[in-house]
Amino acid sequence: MKLQREVFIVGVGETVFGRRKEDYDALGREAAFKAIKDAKISRPDMIQSAYVGNAHNGIVTGQTIFKDLGMCGKTPIINVESACSAGAMAVHLAIKDVATGLTEISMGVGAENHTLRRQKGTAFTPAMNDIEAVHGGVMTGKYSMRATRYMYERGATIEDFAMITVKNRKHATHNPHALYRGEVSIEEVVNSRMIAYPMTLHQCCAISDGAGAVVVCSKEMVKKLGIEKPVKVAGSVVTSGPYHNGPRDITGDDITEMTTEMLYKESGVGPKEVNILELHDAFTIAELLYYECMQLCGKGEGLKFLRDGQSTYGGQCVVSPRGGMLAYGHPIGASGAAQIAANVKQLRGQCGGYQVEPIPKVAMSHVTGGGLSGTEHAACTMHMLVKGW
Amino acid sequence: MADDKKKKDKEPDMTFFHPDLLEAPKDGSAPYLKGYRCKKCGKLDFPKLSPCPLCWGEDFEMVPLSRKGKLYSFADIYIGQPGMNTPYIVGYIDLPEDIRIFAQLDGEVQTFKCDEDVELTTGPIRMNQDGLPIISYKFKKAN
Repeated sequence: MKLQREVFIVGVGETVFGRRKEDYDALGREAAFKAIKDAKISRPDMIQSAYVGNAHNGIVTGQTIFKDLGMCGKTPIINVESACSAGAMAVHLAIKDVATGLTEISMGVGAENHTLRRQKGTAFTPAMNDIEAVHGGVMTGKYSMRATRYMYERGATIEDFAMITVKNRKHATHNPHALYRGEVSIEEVVNSRMIAYPMTLHQCCAISDGAGAVVVCSKEMVKKLGIEKPVKVAGSVVTSGPYHNGPRDITGDDITEMTTEMLYKESGVGPKEVNILELHDAFTIAELLYYECMQLCGKGEGLKFLRDGQSTYGGQCVVSPRGGMLAYGHPIGASGAAQIAANVKQLRGQCGGYQVEPIPKVAMSHVTGGGLSGTEHAACTMHMLVKGW
Repeated sequence: MADDKKKKDKEPDMTFFHPDLLEAPKDGSAPYLKGYRCKKCGKLDFPKLSPCPLCWGEDFEMVPLSRKGKLYSFADIYIGQPGMNTPYIVGYIDLPEDIRIFAQLDGEVQTFKCDEDVELTTGPIRMNQDGLPIISYKFKKAN
């Protein structure tokens, strides 16, 4: 999608992520209201369209969230589902409305509560009409197969994978929104319970609950609202996963590679210019693969990139500065929107205690979505944000 | 009386996955997977997709697939799907026909290796809703 006119993010909100007693609608409302107030919006009818990403919590989730904000009856509300990509897709659709001139102000929300509804001690599974799911396929297995092949071809160790958890939780040390924060040792990560070899418990994102929300608007509306630090949307790309039934390299990820190419082209931003990146670190191996898929380094150099500290403070690109999914957990419909909210706060320099220095000017985010046989992922959504003031 | 009301007869749940994909001859001869070649563009597919995703062709011929392949990667799963016994093992098997199969592996955890030779077998992959095993294709180390 080429943006037909400039679109800016003027308000964001996120909840504390963790095992929450509040259901998805209360969480979504909290994040949405924060974003609305952040955008200095004073009346519900100013928001001309709203999209809500959710995966598991039922029907009419968006209307349930927005009813108490007085938006039902005033705003068209559309619910979006693509597993882990849902929240980012909701933001994409809001951007699209403003970019095409259909609306002046729109918003995207991602919200999910798993812990009130899921069976403990089981793994996320593709839908049961999927041939791999029938045969026992689970997301942990899919990523563990990637990790196993990566170890076989590249000589990586479990300790290498564990470095990602250690790094991301360190980034989250002073982030009040994160579930897991601060010091954890490589030994603790490696010796935690085995989920699917070589992915141990602390290498897998936790099941958690939360929400994120993003308000977008036109350039004209930025002025009317009196927003001093608007964040410009340089690119917003949604793709679906290519289907193939043949051998392919799973130490790469075709859909992420394709979406990244499109995003760089659309935004005019190159991989070396990205200061911070929130990506789909649902499992440690994923972050490691994506360094190469997103061209932060060359093919075959991902392990070196990690070991050299290029993905943390002082490196080429701070990856998962909020702590990523390994620190937040991963309420699957919420994460994509929450990543964007966190990136906006970093660009504005509002992340006291976990602010990346120098204050970043370019932020990228990435969520894939869904297990679907014959694809690496069913969906992928990426955003490029730049300082707009 | 309500108690006398006959419960609606439920169709028995699947116990064999899936006759279109797997042939397990009753005479004891070796099982094989069924590939489907599109008669319009020649693309060989497993599982069968109709229409053919490449050309939208709707006519196919069945082609028995090789029984042996290479294990591209695998995972020993300790936390699995709801209701499945753990541990179990899954893997990607690459067949000479340039087709990758996702399947459960018969064998012990911590014994498989990437690129080793495996061969087709059949066995239970999970229980169905009636509590009976569902038989499907699996792979094991090749003799």
